[in-house]
This record gives sequence, C-alpha cells and structure tokens, in this order.
Amino acid sequence: MRPIIGITTYVVSASWGVWHDLPSTLVPHDYTEAVRLAGGRPVLLPPDDLDADVLRALDGLVLAGGPDVDPSLYGAARGPFTETRPDRDAGEIALLRAALDRDMPVLGVCRGMQLLTVAAGGTLHQHLPDVLGHEKHRPAPAVYGEHDATFAPGSRIAGLMGEDVTINCFHHQGVADPGSLTVTGWAEDGLPETVEDPGRRFVLGVQWHPEVSRDVRLFGALVAAAAGVEEEPAACADR
Amino acid sequence: MRRPLIGLTAYAQQVKYGHNDMMAGMLPMTYVKAVHATGGRAVLITPDDPGTDVIESLDGIVFTGGNDVDPAHWDEPRHPETDPDETRDEAELPLMRAALAAGLPILGVCRGMQVMAVATGGSLHQHVPDLVGHERHRASTGTDPLAANASDYGRHDVVVEERTVAHEVFGRTLTVNSFHHQAVAEPGEFVPVGWCPDDRIIEIIEHPAHTFALGVQWHPERTTDLRSFEALARAASRTRATASA
Repeated sequence: MRPIIGITTYVVSASWGVWHDLPSTLVPHDYTEAVRLAGGRPVLLPPDDLDADVLRALDGLVLAGGPDVDPSLYGAARGPFTETRPDRDAGEIALLRAALDRDMPVLGVCRGMQLLTVAAGGTLHQHLPDVLGHEKHRPAPAVYGEHDATFAPGSRIAGLMGEDVTINCFHHQGVADPGSLTVTGWAEDGLPETVEDPGRRFVLGVQWHPEVSRDVRLFGALVAAAAGVEEEPAACADR
Repeated sequence: MRRPLIGLTAYAQQVKYGHNDMMAGMLPMTYVKAVHATGGRAVLITPDDPGTDVIESLDGIVFTGGNDVDPAHWDEPRHPETDPDETRDEAELPLMRAALAAGLPILGVCRGMQVMAVATGGSLHQHVPDLVGHERHRASTGTDPLAANASDYGRHDVVVEERTVAHEVFGRTLTVNSFHHQAVAEPGEFVPVGWCPDDRIIEIIEHPAHTFALGVQWHPERTTDLRSFEALARAASRTRATASA
C-alpha cells in the first residue's frame, strides 16, 4: 500500500460545465499529480476544525498554498492587503499541530510554509512590496517569479535540491521571524525561502511552488519519509 | 467516539474561480457538509490510475454525482447526448469493485449509483427523455433544480420495496429532487428497490450480499433529508468498531 498523503484544500465558488459559482472544495491538480508521481496516494482534506482525527489514516501531510494566514494568529494587526480565510486557518492549524505532535512528515507550500512558521511561534511580513520595495516574488497575476535560491550547506533542502536551485514564486507575504524553525534557504534579496525543523523527522516549508513542476525531489522526499524510509546520507550529511 | 472516515470520489476538472482557470481536484461542498453533518469526516478521493489501495484507510465511501459513464463499458455506442467522464470512469469502476470486495459501506449518488450498476456488469439508459418522453428527471440547462426553492420540475416521488435496506432507511415513499438524464437499465449484481411511480425509472438499488451498498438516483446532499448519509455513517461506524475489535 502506498503512503497516504493528505493535502489541504481551498473552499471557493467554482464554475464548470453547467454549474456556476457552486461552493466547492478544491486544490490544483498539480498537487495530486506531484504526490502520485512521487509514489504517494493523495487524498484531499476539506477544512474541518472539529478534530484532527483524520490523521490516523494519513502517513504524511501537504499544507497547500492559498490565502493569507490571519495576522491575529501571530499577534499582529491586519494589514490593508491581507486576505484571510478563517475556516482554513482554524482547520489547518489544528491539523498541523496534531501532525507535529505525532511527528508526521509535513511539507508546507507557500501559505503552508507561512502556516508552519506561525505554528512555530514565528511571524510574517504582511505585504512584501512594502518591505522589500519590489514585486519579484509576485510579478503579475498568474505569473510566477523565477529566481535562484541559496541554501544552507548541510540542510535538508540543500541535499534535496542539489545543483538546480531555480525556484518559482507567487506570494505577497513572507516569513519575518521563523519562530522555533530554522531558515535554510534564501532568495537573492534575503527573504526566507525555506524553513525546516531539524528536531523532527520531516518538517519542510518552501515559499515557492514545487507542485507546478511536480518536483519529485521534494515530493519524493515527503513520500519516502511518510513510508518510513531512511534518507540518503547525502541529504543529511551534516545532521 | 471517533468519527468514521468517509471517502468522497471527486472530479479532476477544469474549473474557474475568481481570476483562476485551472485543472483541479474538486467537489461541491454540499457532499462534504452532508458527511460532516451526519457525524463523519470527509476526505476527497481524486481519480487516480494505479490502484485502489486507498480503500484500506476508509470506513465508508460515497461515489458522487458527475458526468455520464462511458457506454463503452457496457458495449454500447455513444448516444449524442452522452457526455462521459473517462478519467473518473477509469478510476471509479475499479474502486467500486474493490470497495465491494472489501465489504466497505458504500453510498452511490446519481452517477455513483450508475457506476454501481456498470461496475458489476449492468447497463444504463443513455438518455431518459427518449425512454419516458418527458424531462421531469432533470431541469433545463442553466437552472438549478436542486435548490431549496426549485419548482416541481425535477422533483418527484419514489416508491420503495418493503423488506429492504432502502425501506429501513426511507420507509415506503419519499419525495426527491432529480437532476439526471441517464438511468439504470440493468443493475448488474445490484437489485432495484425503489422506482419513480410515474415512469418506473429505477431510483434506488442495493446489493443483496452486502451489509450497506445503497445507490440513489437523486441528490440527497443538496437537501435537508440526509437519511442516506446517516445510514452510511452508521454502517461505517459499525465497520470501524468491528475492525478495531
């Protein structure tokens, strides 16, 4: 049996076929394909904050991208460009905390990395152009910003990415203080691009979108960790 | 008490929302809410080609509504009105057989009921209006016959056979909403146990050798009558209790 990987989802009003603006739970097909191609069996997790019992059926968790995390969760006032979804925050924070408690492998993508940070006691920049003075992390609607990242030698992400360090970003918030996590990757402007928790089996957050290229380096590592497979020594040489 | 984990088969579908136009794994929230309202925890099972192993992690499964089943699966040429979802067919037909083999409690909704029939050797009527000469099983394009304030169009009675699982769940008669243009012709390993009294279209099927494998042609998830979802949750809780005993 393949490791079962839960993926958090959006709730939006969607239109398809004869249906118009029907409240739907969805996640880009890229995520399910990335998990499937990496050898996992994806299931989608609609937001639900009653309990985190669903984790008993899962071997790993992907926190998908999406809207901003509510600033009240990291003790900040809401900025003018911040757009939140309380149902996702409540459901995903509960799920993430329970997953961390049982040391389940977690991959956070974009919003997912920001959620990891907030759960670890960290904080976010609410609008990067105000902080960095440029739009390179979100060049235009539906356009990914491509750039090269720098990774900390010996980190998990450095081992996984190898020589090809080009990443594709689309976000307007970013990690300010990583809390108890370790920042292990940076954009050229110094913005954190990856966070890790070296004290746990597999906790990795990336600010970019590895699902778009179905990056088997990252999703494969998650699935391997979910299956309980030991990492290649090269991926954790200094740990 | 832990909630039973209920899988919902889902679309892989090009959808639009906001400024986005993308291929997504998706399902209307009505199904999720129906599962959560009846004490279950919903997870979406996206169409997936290699296998059916996900069955092992579930306590119950709903085969949800959607587009038509490809008539190639019962060796018939395609009717001009037939609009199949081959991706879901390829995933859901083996998944249905695996769920039946595993004894997993199953609820089939609309297309899901049709998948029950086809997966076990049955067949469908490809266009109900050709058969019955009226359109009362669906509404005109662009209207929502399933909304709470919908007119009589796409709404009818169902008569249920006594001494069946369906009768325990629904009683002798009920009124249902309706949005389909195909219907079960031969139910395969299933048995028809509920009909529309006006035209004898099969509205409910169940599997005689299975504790809970019930198919309904209407859309209970879009109504306040969630008895079919409650029955699934009860059966799934029993499966769970047995499995952990």
